[in-house]
Amino acid sequence: MSELLANLALGFSVAAHPYNIGFCLLGALVGTLVGVLPGIGTVATVAMLLPITFGLPPVGALIMLAGIYYGAQYGGSTTSVLVNIPGEATSVVTCLDGHQMARQGRAGAALSIAAIGSFFAGCVSTVLVAALGTPLTSLALLFGPAEYFSLMVLGLIFAVVLAKGSVLNAIAMILTGLLLSMVGSDLETGAGRMTFDIAELSDGIGFANVAMGVFGFAEIIRNLEMSQESRDIVQSKIKGLMPTRQDLIDSSGAIARGTILGSILGILPGGGAVVASFAAYTFEKRISKTPERFGRGEIRGVAAPEAANNAAAQTSFIPLLTLGIPPNAVMALMVGAMTIHGIVPGPQVMTKQPELFWGMIASMWLGNLMLVIINLPLVGVWVTLLRVPYRLLYPSIIVFCCIGIYSINNSPTDVVIAAIFGLVGYWLAKHDFEPAPLVLAFVLGPLMEENLRRAMLIARGDATVFITRPISGVLIAIAASLLVLAALPMIRKRREEVFVE
Amino acid sequence: MAEGVRSPPNGGGLRFKVRGPREFYGGLALIALAIVAIWASGDLPGMHGFAFGPGTAPRLFATLLAIVGALVALSGMLFDGPPLDSYAIRGPAWVILAILAFAGMIRGVHLGFVTVPPLGLIPSTFAAFMISICGSSEMRWVESLIAAVAMTAFCVGLFVYLLQLPFQLWPWY
Repeated sequence: MSELLANLALGFSVAAHPYNIGFCLLGALVGTLVGVLPGIGTVATVAMLLPITFGLPPVGALIMLAGIYYGAQYGGSTTSVLVNIPGEATSVVTCLDGHQMARQGRAGAALSIAAIGSFFAGCVSTVLVAALGTPLTSLALLFGPAEYFSLMVLGLIFAVVLAKGSVLNAIAMILTGLLLSMVGSDLETGAGRMTFDIAELSDGIGFANVAMGVFGFAEIIRNLEMSQESRDIVQSKIKGLMPTRQDLIDSSGAIARGTILGSILGILPGGGAVVASFAAYTFEKRISKTPERFGRGEIRGVAAPEAANNAAAQTSFIPLLTLGIPPNAVMALMVGAMTIHGIVPGPQVMTKQPELFWGMIASMWLGNLMLVIINLPLVGVWVTLLRVPYRLLYPSIIVFCCIGIYSINNSPTDVVIAAIFGLVGYWLAKHDFEPAPLVLAFVLGPLMEENLRRAMLIARGDATVFITRPISGVLIAIAASLLVLAALPMIRKRREEVFVE
Repeated sequence: MAEGVRSPPNGGGLRFKVRGPREFYGGLALIALAIVAIWASGDLPGMHGFAFGPGTAPRLFATLLAIVGALVALSGMLFDGPPLDSYAIRGPAWVILAILAFAGMIRGVHLGFVTVPPLGLIPSTFAAFMISICGSSEMRWVESLIAAVAMTAFCVGLFVYLLQLPFQLWPWY
């Protein structure tokens, strides 16, 4: 316990450094700014803003990125409440009741309860991350290459299960991502793989290029073809920003339950934040005495998913920081950022760079505080931003992304690669393939291959090692049963389709 | 399953009717990608003893991708799915053109007989903005020009002055 406090104290001393507070504030602000833009989800926001953190010192950069992440998420909720356009899956649930509240003139209350819920969840889960960090890191020491490989398989299977649409398509995306990650020099021998003798590919395909292409550019291309301006911005002036006492009493239980659910689900690999908000909403509706009010502007329907969402966002740092395995696409971006700063995510970060580890954890809490402080007064600004027509918005985003990608390596080729991936992403969307599993696999690819090779070498070519080693075996068993569970309903549905005709 | 009458199994065997074209063509493309990957990694050494060679993993995953791609295509043949979406040409074309223009202008480029000199950040940003805005059907000239100038100024301010990244701003620097 005292160790925990000492660690947190170290963390806060790092995070409270004026520079780092500044980065955190800036990150939360810019993250909200971009996250508020309709149609741009958390992943796209983080991908887009990644380059602006490259010039900073590592600690500052990661703190800023964390700030961007929370900001983007909060920005997404704001858009959901005010415009009814969810930036991404986690905000879908917030739309249901949040937008109804806004229509009833209670947008202020919805937004402030979302902020308060998020802040409470953030406080709890920050402590949780700090408390679980040390024991999980020692668990990581039990992990050999086989276990690491199996854990990553499990993470990818989670991503498959949670992807919308067909399981088969998601698996295909995973394999595509893995394959793409192998372009470039081989880690052990240095042999150029699948480079087609193009010099720029010998270092591999840059992660930021892929992410920016399939999330940023592809999104824009798709949005362009949708009918313009079907937005439904709440026009009435937002008044009464503070929730009433009754609102607070009503939502306190929902916030607490959402926090607990979110914290647990966030640790699971494979995109906990989405499940968390859905689970919290469903749970809240089920235990409510007045379930019929959900979907009609029930404040609990905003409070619970927002708290869960934020708690999950926070605890999803746990697998990343302790095991070095990103559990979802945003964390995959974080790995990308860490690697660029020369930090290899994993258990050694905590022992070798404690100030980075604990500083980041402390800044999570600060980031949440910032959100409450900056967002409530700035709601008016965000509303103005939502009124900027898309025809002016998208060229700005494109230009911004171009400069961002170029600035990573001062390489025009990277910009061209991102453009190609933009087209790829557009094609994928047309064929119901989801890009998130692809990006996650792309990041995990090199790690997976390395561990697979090592495990096979240690086991003298015996592939059963992944099943016979206890921890690894359990992980693979969970992954397999998840896959079966996810595939069964689909198969059954398909069979019915065949027989019905 | 509909009870009672069991429907005859899908007409006469070899009738190739694509019922889920999105999946079918998606699957075919994945198979093509896998074949390209297998071909491209064909010259790399494979297993030696217990150790993976550089070519082992790419060929392994490419083979898996080919199998899954085939399954996706197969399910597109067997099960009903949504029809193919039409592709917009105008929006994507301008957007991609804008990105390529930026890439070509910022550092200059040699394309066979044309040589673009390095033009620097300000002209590249401005041009990319103006080209990409043409992709919208609601483009208005005056408004666009003002927005392009504003965005260029914002980017220069952010990347060059605030983040201190080394950029060449104008052609003559």
